[in-house]
Amino acid sequence: MIPVLGSISLSLALGLSAISIFLFSVFLKNADYRFFIAGWRGAVAISALSILATFLLLNELLISNFDISYVAHYTSIETPTFYKITALWAGQSGSLLFWLFILSVYTLIVLFQYKNSYTRLMPWVIIVLVIVQAFFLVLVNVIENPFSPTNADFVVVNGNGLNPLLQNLTMAIHPPTLYLGYVGFTIPFAFAIAALITKDTGSVWIRSIRRWTLIAWLFQSAGIILGGWWAYQELGWGGYWAWDPVENASFMPWLTGTAFLHSIIIQEKKGMLKTWNMILIMITFTLCIFGTFLTRSGVMSSVHSFAVSNLGPVFLGFIAIILLVGTYLVIDRASILKSEKRIESFTSRESGFLFNNVIFVVICFAVFWGTIFPVLSEAVQGEKITVGAPFFNQVNVPIGLLLLLFTGIGPLLAWRRTSKEALIRNFTIPILFGIAVFIACFFLGIRETTLISFPLTGFVAAAILIEFHRGTQSRSKRFNEPFFTALKTLISRNRSRYGGYIVHLGIVFMFIGFSGHAFDSELEFAMKTGEIKEFDGYKFELVSITPTERPNHIAWIAGLNIWDQENQLVTRLFPEKRVYFHKDPNPDKRQPHSELDIHSTLVKDIYTIFSGVDMEQQIAYLKIMINPLVWWVWFGGYVLIFGTMIALWPVKEH
Amino acid sequence: MNQKKIIIAVISLSFLSFAWIGYVTFNPDQENPGMVRFISLNDLSSVTESERIRLGGRISAGSIQISKQNQLECDFGLQQGELTVPVNFLGTRPDLFKDDAEVIVEGHYVNEKFVADQLQTKCASRYEGDLRDDSSYNVESI
Repeated sequence: MIPVLGSISLSLALGLSAISIFLFSVFLKNADYRFFIAGWRGAVAISALSILATFLLLNELLISNFDISYVAHYTSIETPTFYKITALWAGQSGSLLFWLFILSVYTLIVLFQYKNSYTRLMPWVIIVLVIVQAFFLVLVNVIENPFSPTNADFVVVNGNGLNPLLQNLTMAIHPPTLYLGYVGFTIPFAFAIAALITKDTGSVWIRSIRRWTLIAWLFQSAGIILGGWWAYQELGWGGYWAWDPVENASFMPWLTGTAFLHSIIIQEKKGMLKTWNMILIMITFTLCIFGTFLTRSGVMSSVHSFAVSNLGPVFLGFIAIILLVGTYLVIDRASILKSEKRIESFTSRESGFLFNNVIFVVICFAVFWGTIFPVLSEAVQGEKITVGAPFFNQVNVPIGLLLLLFTGIGPLLAWRRTSKEALIRNFTIPILFGIAVFIACFFLGIRETTLISFPLTGFVAAAILIEFHRGTQSRSKRFNEPFFTALKTLISRNRSRYGGYIVHLGIVFMFIGFSGHAFDSELEFAMKTGEIKEFDGYKFELVSITPTERPNHIAWIAGLNIWDQENQLVTRLFPEKRVYFHKDPNPDKRQPHSELDIHSTLVKDIYTIFSGVDMEQQIAYLKIMINPLVWWVWFGGYVLIFGTMIALWPVKEH
Repeated sequence: MNQKKIIIAVISLSFLSFAWIGYVTFNPDQENPGMVRFISLNDLSSVTESERIRLGGRISAGSIQISKQNQLECDFGLQQGELTVPVNFLGTRPDLFKDDAEVIVEGHYVNEKFVADQLQTKCASRYEGDLRDDSSYNVESI
C-alpha cells in the first residue's frame, strides 16, 4: 500500500508542476493575484508531496520491505537502524529522490519566506524552482522509480545490505551535506533567471541571494572536506583527494561558487560585473547538475558512481536547455547588464577581485578539462586515455599558489585605488614575514614547490592577522575598549568581512596541509609477530595478531608498538583486517576490508594499513605511511566552517 | 584608460593559463605522467618499453603465483577474450584480488611481460548485483 502511495505522490507532484507553471503564466499575463496564490499553493503542494514520498520510502527502508527493489538492494535485516536511514541516499533512485527532497525543503522556505516580498521577481523564481523540481520528478517517476517492486521470480528473504564502507558516521553525513550544497545553488540560480527575465538586474536580487549562496557554499565546502576525511580514514590509500571524476564534480561548482561569492560583493558595492555574475551563477548551477549527472550516469568509472544507467541523455538534455536559455537571456539583456562604474586602478580591491575570479574559473576549467578528457579522447581519437592525479597536480599547483597569493593581496588593497603610502604600509610586514619563512625553509633544506608554498602561507597569514590587529587597535583606541572586547565587537559589527578573513585563514591552514604531501613516504612489507622494522625514523614492532569475531564480521587485529630512535614508545596502533559477511556460504559475497589506524599529530600522521594476514605463519602484510601536516587540512576545514558561520550569523536588527 | 589595461591583463592571464593547461596536456611529466593510454591487448605489440600504459581484463583462473621470496610479489595472467598477457606485480594486493576478478593494471610492457606497479580490482558487485542468496526460494516452490 505504502509503495503505491509513494508512487502516486510523485506522479501527482509531477502533474501539479505543469498546473502550477500554467497558473503562473496566466498570472503574468493578466496580473490577477488569485492566479498567483493558486500557483503558489500548487508549488507548496509539489514540495509537500515530494517530501511525503521521501518519508514513505524511509518508512519502507525502516520496516525492511524487500518487495521494493531499492530496499532489497541497499539494506538487509541486520543493517543497523541508523544505516537503514542513510540507505536513503546509498543508491541511484533513492539519491535522486533525496535531491528532490532537499530542493523541496529549500523551495518551501523560499515560498513562505518571500511570499509577500520581491513581488516582481517571485513568480519567476517559483517557476524556475518548479521546473527544476519537475526535472527530478520526471527522473524518479519515469526513469528511476525508487518505489519500483523487486523484480525476481523468488521471494527475497533478506536484502543485500549496505556496503560496510558506507557504514561509517562520516559517510552518513558526507552525502547529505554535499547535496545541501549542490541543491542550494538552485535558489540563487532561480533568482538570477528571474532578475534577467524581469530586467530587474540591479542589486535587489543580489541582496536576496547572498545568504542563500553562502549557505550553499558552506554545505558544499563541508561536504567536500568530509568526503576527504572519509577517504583518508576508510579507504586506506593514505590520501584524502584523488582527483576522481566525482570528487572533481563536487569541486567545480565549489570553485565557481566561490568566485561568485566574491564578485557579488563588487556588484553590491559598485554596480560592476553584472554580466559576469549572471554567467557565474549559471555555470555554477549547471556544474551542480553536471556533477549529479557524473555521479549518477556511470559515464565515468569511479569509486562513487553507481551502475550504468540511462539517465545520461536526460541530464545532458536538461543541461543543454539551461545553457541555451541562459545564454539567450544574457545576450538579450546585455544592455541592462552594463556596469555602472569602471575599475580605476590595478591596485584596487576591484581589480583584486577580478583577478581572483579569473583564477577560480581557470582552475575550474583545468579540472573540467581533465575530467572529460578521457571521454573526449575516446570520441575524437578512438583511444581511451585516463587522466590521473599527477596531471591535476601538475596543472593546478602553480595556479593554486597564484590564487593563494591573491588571497593575501586582495584584502590589503583599498577600494578604487590604493595610494603608494598605503601599499608600503600594508605590505611591508607580510612581505617581510614571507621572506623570513622563505629563509627558514631554505636552511631547513626545503626545496621545490614547498619552498614557495610555505613562504606564501606565511605572507597571507600575516596579511590577515594584521587586518585583525589593525581593526582591533583602532577600535580599542577610539572607544577605549580592552583588546579582546574590541576584537569581538569588530567581528560582530562586520560579520561578513571578518568572517571572510577567518575563512581565508582556514584556507591558509589547508594549504599548509596540502604542502605536506610533498614529504609523504610509504613502505609495504611483511613481518612476523615479534619482529621489528625500521622506517623513516621509527621502529615498528608487531606484538600480536589477534583474531576476533564480531556480529557482522571477523577481524584480525595487528598490535603494533611504534618506537622512536631513543626507544621511547610513540604510540600503539591496532589496524585490522576484516571480512564482512564471513558466514555467507558463497565466498564471493564475503567482503574483505582493511580498517586502518592512524596516529595523528600537528607535525605528521603515522598511518598503518593491515592489508593481509597469514595466520599459520603469523605473518602480517602491512603498509605504513608517514604523512606530514595532514592534521592542518582538517583544522583548516574547521576554521573555514567557523568563519562561514560568523559571516552567516544573522545581525540583530535594531 | 586603466580599465583597458586591466582588461588586457586579465585576458593575458587567462591566455597564459590556458596555454599552461594545454602544455601540460600534451607534454606530461615523463616520470609520473598524469595521462596514460588505456590499451587493448591487441595493440600491446606497438607499445614501447618506456611508455606507461594501462591494461584491463580478467585474471585467468589458476594463474596466480605468489613469489616464495617476497610475499608481496606475484605473477598472473591477464585475460582479454582469447588473449592473455603475463603480468608481474609487486605491492599490496587488493582485497578482491582472486581468480576471475576484473582488474586494471598500470605499468610498463617489457620483454613480452607486463610489469605493473599499480593494481586495482573492480568494486564488489554485491551491492548492485543479484539478490538471490542461499536462503532465497522460488515463488513456484511455495
